[in-house]
Amino acid sequence: MRRSTAAAVGTLTGAALILGVRLSVQPPDAPVATAPVAQEQDQVEPEETGEPAPEATSTKKPSGNKKTTPPAEEEEAGLKAGTYKGKAVTNPYGTVQVTIKISGGKISSADATYPTKDFSGTINPNAVKKLSEATLAAQSADVDTVSGATFTSESYVQSLQAALDKAGA
Amino acid sequence: MGTVVSIEIADDLPDPQLGELVSSTCAWLHEVDARFSTYKDDSEVCRFRRGEIALADCSDDFRLVLDRCSDLWRDTDGFFDAYAGGPLDPSGYVKGWSVEVASSRLLAAGSRRHYISAGGDIRMRGAGPGGRPWRVGVRHPWEADKLSWVLELTDGAVATSGTYERGAHVFNPRTGTAASGLRSVTVVGPDLALADAYATAALAMGEPGLAWLAKRIDEGYESAAVTDDGRAFTSPGLPVAS
Repeated sequence: MRRSTAAAVGTLTGAALILGVRLSVQPPDAPVATAPVAQEQDQVEPEETGEPAPEATSTKKPSGNKKTTPPAEEEEAGLKAGTYKGKAVTNPYGTVQVTIKISGGKISSADATYPTKDFSGTINPNAVKKLSEATLAAQSADVDTVSGATFTSESYVQSLQAALDKAGA
Repeated sequence: MGTVVSIEIADDLPDPQLGELVSSTCAWLHEVDARFSTYKDDSEVCRFRRGEIALADCSDDFRLVLDRCSDLWRDTDGFFDAYAGGPLDPSGYVKGWSVEVASSRLLAAGSRRHYISAGGDIRMRGAGPGGRPWRVGVRHPWEADKLSWVLELTDGAVATSGTYERGAHVFNPRTGTAASGLRSVTVVGPDLALADAYATAALAMGEPGLAWLAKRIDEGYESAAVTDDGRAFTSPGLPVAS
């Protein structure tokens, strides 16, 4: 909270003005880069594409069509076509197991089983399935501002302030 | 803790009024800093810590902040903890709250279109440049110059907590060890203070935080999270730019 004016001074440029430091704004049309990708491929069980095997103790739920996530454009070299079931991961609310389908070297769908039994009354059984998983994609885009974890040191702020002072902002 | 605050006002207003809006915002943030800084010996927080002032004698704002911190401690199963480091440190709530207040004051003073970003936690109102929604990038947790998602909002808040910038500065209060499992958590919702606190709490929880975040959807808080091993999760209502 200190030195909060540091970036809140700037140039007045016309009707719509920009005051302060614009956080890193990416140039448009930069190439899409690949991101670290971690597939849950333990216990890989290639199957025929089609209906993934049902779980004995839980109900399969679609995890959404990933329409809210960036398209997976990574080249998944070495990913063989088929359906793969991920490791069953247990969390305090039960066990989640993801099944992915690979076609054309890419993940074409990702579904997961979620616990639907034995939820306590305080836990919404529909909640756990609401976050859908995708592989992380890195992209560049034209944005107004960036949200991220930041650690701005006091020295950084002081240096910024000095630079702004020098600039006569 | 030093934090850089950026203010952008998109209203078509005369320059003197715009200057006044920014000045008053800065004055408010400095006032908050003077009262809540854990680095300033004469701040209300430090005087309260030393027992020099009783709670009843503290300002309304101070008591409000303390109330909200204890609400959050309860609502996050203890993962948001203003006493995590020992003595009272309400900074995790104060940052978002002060920006919320600043944005409300800007609105009352005539600015319907603006955003305020405090160290990457952002509150925005109205339409952005050109009348389109504000476009907010979510920083990629491994590549600082890349984005994981681009969000579009008119009114609302975006807060991100991550382990990638400061290392292990978020602790799991249950285990006393550094938070692990999630590398980055972004929460989008109506109130920046809550969005920020939720993001931090989920980060502290690790992967169980994903299920916890899912339960915030019904309260109006959407989320995106990246695990330590690079899996990305989004809630269906996340306002991702198409």
